[in-house]
Amino acid sequence: MVSAESARAAQAAPPHPQRLTVPRAWRRVDFISDLHLQPQDRATFLDWSRYMQQTCADAIFILGDLFEVWVGDDAIAPGPLPNEAPQAPFEIAVASVLARTTQRCSVFFMHGNRDFLVGTGFLQRCGVQLLSDPCVLEFGDQRWLLSHGDALCWDDTDYMQFRRMVRSPVWTQQFLAQSLVQRRAIARDLRQRSESRKAAQVQWFDVDSDGARQWLGATRSTVLLHGHTHRPQDHDLGSGLQRIVLSDWDCAASPSRAQVMRLELPRPGQAAVFSRIAPELSAHTGAPK
Amino acid sequence: MANPQVELHIHKLGVITLELDADKAPKSAANFLDYVNQGHYNNTVFHRVIPGFMVQGGGFEPGMKEKRSGTPITNEANNGLKNQQYTVAMARTNDPHSATAQFFINVGDNGFLNHSAPNPQGWGYAVFGRVVSGTEIVDRIKAVATGRKGFHDDVPVDDVVIEKAVAL
Repeated sequence: MVSAESARAAQAAPPHPQRLTVPRAWRRVDFISDLHLQPQDRATFLDWSRYMQQTCADAIFILGDLFEVWVGDDAIAPGPLPNEAPQAPFEIAVASVLARTTQRCSVFFMHGNRDFLVGTGFLQRCGVQLLSDPCVLEFGDQRWLLSHGDALCWDDTDYMQFRRMVRSPVWTQQFLAQSLVQRRAIARDLRQRSESRKAAQVQWFDVDSDGARQWLGATRSTVLLHGHTHRPQDHDLGSGLQRIVLSDWDCAASPSRAQVMRLELPRPGQAAVFSRIAPELSAHTGAPK
Repeated sequence: MANPQVELHIHKLGVITLELDADKAPKSAANFLDYVNQGHYNNTVFHRVIPGFMVQGGGFEPGMKEKRSGTPITNEANNGLKNQQYTVAMARTNDPHSATAQFFINVGDNGFLNHSAPNPQGWGYAVFGRVVSGTEIVDRIKAVATGRKGFHDDVPVDDVVIEKAVAL
């Protein structure tokens, strides 16, 4: 039985997270996450697609759960099929949007808890760069710690145990060894169990504040930017540290939810300003003249 | 003008010679020759082998390491050429005009891969050439043992390697 304390000890900040330094010319970077794109949700796909085409950002960072589910890159591998089954037309539509976007600006992708099996093959085809979780972004003379967020929900001990299992190479290999049909069935089953468990829970688990402070301290960053919880808010962690949570997207919901976190450098040498903007306004710059 | 020919030197098996139909599939032939001349196909594998159907390659190095490829080309499947045994065609995803570097050699008469209509269901797969020498090597490739490797099915257990592809 894993005690809460030993579980916490096991979550010690990763020693050397990936560091990303961006071109000096970049003035504006966007962050989105938790779009949960799926064929059944046309509205979110269309709004996301429009945003990707019109944003004036120099780079877009997708911090996980772009897809509702991903069971393997082979769903859209090129090649004729011996029968006439369609090859994942939805995933290909998403790939097209990504590929078109990367012709204009840089797109970075970080795995979420739903789409951690998105492979480098798929990303390469779309021109998207993979980020590890967490990752430190150096922008505007500040260090921003980027994460999907699920790895910091320490109080959700069941989930942390589950996460350790499914992110292990052994589990991943065994999963991928099964046919596409089997993997889709397993994914559906896991999804159903997760939904039932959530429905039975009294509380929801947020990112652990101590964990956030630990990771920020270890990486000498001042702001943690993450998604996963679908609870957009700015949190003051004390000592000049902040935790900023991205919104999820659901354009079929009423009211519709979709938001972009934008970091902008008004002038070189000035501190970056962050603001939450509606996707439809992403084509416009907010920097004061 | 004679049609261009390309030799695929298969490790331990010999040479398959392809004749490209530059007349009926100009874009596909030119695209394929581009990759050949850049050395893209050197040290790649036939990563997808389905007996009675086709053998596919041009996208992965040994160990299933995917290779970067270039801009997709227009689908030329409406050129009248049929996916008959030992013809070579461009591989693509569901998007009709998504072919880049991967190709396949039909090892049966795959009429259902032919162009029937200019829509996603009917576009078909563009034939751009045929095997003019080395069909017996193609027959040996289609018979190798295959299995699952990571994300991929029908992968030869022992790599079938194109050591080099050479334009004649």
